[in-house]
Amino acid sequence: MVQRLKEVDVVVIGVGMVGSIVAKELAAAGYKVVGLERGQTRFTVPEFQSPAIHDELRFDIRKAMMQDNTREPVTFRNLGSQVALPVRRWESFLPGTGLGGSMVHWNGQTYRFQANDFQLATRTRERYGKNFLDADLTIQDWGVTYDDLEPHYDRFEYLLGTSGKAGNIKGQIQPGGDPHESPRSRDYPTPPQKEHYSGAMFRKAASSLGYHPFPQPSSNLSQPYTNPEGMKLNACVFCGFCERYACEHYAKSVPQTVILPVLLANPNFELRTGCQVQRINLDSTKKHATGVTYIDAVGREFEQPASLVISSMFSINNVRMLLLSGIGAPYDPATGQGVVGRNYAYQTMSSVASFFDDDVHINPFMASGASGTLINDFAGDNFDHSGLGFIGGAFIGAVNTNGRPIQYHPVPPGTPNWGKGWKQAVVKHYNHTVMFSLHGSSAAQRQNYLDLDPTYRDAWGQPLLRMTFDFPQNDIKMAAHVTAKAVEIGKAMGAKQVAGSPRKGPYTVTQYQTTHNTGGSVMGDNPKTSVVNRYLQSWDVPNVFVIGACNYPQNASWNPTGTLGALTYWAIDALKNKYLKNPGRLVSA
Amino acid sequence: MNAQRAHPRPRRSPAVLAGSLMVLAMPCALAAQTAPSAKPGPTSAAVAPAAPCEACHGAHGEGMAAAHVPRIAGQSAEYLKKQLDNYADGTRDSPIMTNFAKALSEKQRITYAMQYASMPVLQGPQPKTLNAAQLARGHQLAFQGDERIRVQACNSCHGPDGIGVLHAAPYLAGQSADYIASALKSFQQGTRKNDAGELMRSIVKSLNDADVIAISGYFAQVNSSTK
Repeated sequence: MVQRLKEVDVVVIGVGMVGSIVAKELAAAGYKVVGLERGQTRFTVPEFQSPAIHDELRFDIRKAMMQDNTREPVTFRNLGSQVALPVRRWESFLPGTGLGGSMVHWNGQTYRFQANDFQLATRTRERYGKNFLDADLTIQDWGVTYDDLEPHYDRFEYLLGTSGKAGNIKGQIQPGGDPHESPRSRDYPTPPQKEHYSGAMFRKAASSLGYHPFPQPSSNLSQPYTNPEGMKLNACVFCGFCERYACEHYAKSVPQTVILPVLLANPNFELRTGCQVQRINLDSTKKHATGVTYIDAVGREFEQPASLVISSMFSINNVRMLLLSGIGAPYDPATGQGVVGRNYAYQTMSSVASFFDDDVHINPFMASGASGTLINDFAGDNFDHSGLGFIGGAFIGAVNTNGRPIQYHPVPPGTPNWGKGWKQAVVKHYNHTVMFSLHGSSAAQRQNYLDLDPTYRDAWGQPLLRMTFDFPQNDIKMAAHVTAKAVEIGKAMGAKQVAGSPRKGPYTVTQYQTTHNTGGSVMGDNPKTSVVNRYLQSWDVPNVFVIGACNYPQNASWNPTGTLGALTYWAIDALKNKYLKNPGRLVSA
Repeated sequence: MNAQRAHPRPRRSPAVLAGSLMVLAMPCALAAQTAPSAKPGPTSAAVAPAAPCEACHGAHGEGMAAAHVPRIAGQSAEYLKKQLDNYADGTRDSPIMTNFAKALSEKQRITYAMQYASMPVLQGPQPKTLNAAQLARGHQLAFQGDERIRVQACNSCHGPDGIGVLHAAPYLAGQSADYIASALKSFQQGTRKNDAGELMRSIVKSLNDADVIAISGYFAQVNSSTK
């Protein structure tokens, strides 16, 4: 029997980064907000304390913080002609679960996208002509501009206390920062983290080649910081356990450290954990949401009526929720019609390993998740793509996030994969190798999409999300081009051997790359090619807002979290100042 | 788990500490000259402790608990060297240690740091000073921290049971309660500011006097100095 609960103003599905921020703002504005979180509560104390939190087997290999894929996996295939199978062990990407969401286990790399990224289709056409793009790419503009988002990027960075060095303040290029960045209104709230030795080597080599190295913006803080919410954070100790782990030191900016205590103290907010939302309920018109239905941890089913529904789950789960709820037309790759699930994109990760002699000591273990040094000279549209046959690019960086014993053992090509030869190579190279990360953009392509699996269901009987994805040729070409540039930097560092690994197809879901799953519920100006409008409001059901990296029409050369934070505050601004004053469509279709 | 056991007795009572220090304060240069010239190693260090340190920190690095003088035997050489440097450069203030450290050459600081680092970590807890409730609070802060005041577990940096983590964080297990308390107070008052990233200064801001007593007394009675 479904128990119908008392109506509230707002129900927030997923209490991670987006959910915490939205709920905090709306509760503070006087609305009654219920946050539904499928996972459990957890805080820095006691859940994140070491030595338990540094258990590499538990967190890195067995993925203790991730979505439970014995109950709720996704299915995957490369091509629409294949049969998708459930991903029973997360490898390629790692969606989190529990209070605070995936951000709890992030690395803290906090970027802005560039002005060009938000108008990619228009700018590419302007610069390279109408027929430059591969025909099967479905690149499009975002419907917002960098200038729209700048104040919200700023607010998000100051919430997090991000440590970095500005490269462009109101058009003035700042020495030591990234000269390619779009203008920011002020510097980062805290100075950059200390530079790793590998970063110093990279800086020297990249400068000698005429590039523009800068410190990676990090939300593992360089110094103590009190954010505008009054939350105090500590400085990072470079323990090398950021991504896949939680921080025991209150030094990594996550919901628990930057906003949750403020939210939880507000009597207008109620947190319910262990709640698996089944669907967003619609009235008979299918144009208005009446609330959500969820099943709690002991199996009871509830209907939570609400005037406004915010879907703030991890990117791909937002898309699944829309599909399960019948909100928006599902995308059909055969016809190109429909929008939900369309333009699923990822990130095109390549790497370069530079091997040194025994007298060069890198100490890879002494690191934070974002204490690297990098260049944007080959990211986005910062270089001329004429004649290259692709768009997009990658940042290249000595981004040494850890030296953990199970997972980190760089060895040169040709090393045996196991046995004595492998062990000897690991010992020889562990402390004498610099790894570059090449963090590449991902173009949306007609045949890559998300839909509901026709066969497999979750523990609650609901169809799983099906992912159909392979790397577009555009991105394979981009990876080859940028990797060649990065190899030159490795050589300029004086490495004895430099091994470039450009990303090649087919995409494999059994190899870790990154948790930057984007698209599927993209934003835009046209309801025929987007699921939500520029304020992240559903075109079809105006009292549903969907906020996540699922809103990105395609993915840029940088980690998505900074842009998601900016979009979150952008949407909150529209909710508070437009929608809630006069509920209805914010953009006419 | 095969650490040597040592049960040193303090050779000087706190009452004579002041006198010892006055004597030592004068002949620093002399003491330095008479310091062992042999290359320090485990064997030579065990038989030839650094003379200027010995008066307070003891021949075996046992310290003087009641006089706030820490145990330094088996503390990492990097940590000890850094403290000497910081006493000298003023980022750690002590009316006694500042003068000593300033008089030492770079080479002497390294020599003494390495000598004490190479001594066996001392077994045997300090006297129990806490009641059950205080011990429980100390145990909570050591193992778990406190979300309410946003303080992480001491052991997160100082190692399981506070045994220390190489050069990154000194051991606390078996350390003098009065010393730990005075160290925390010095972070609170800003007379000690040699903590990387202001980490200790950030933490102690959230601790009240009762917490300082609980943490200090708790670690003093931990008897786990095996490494």
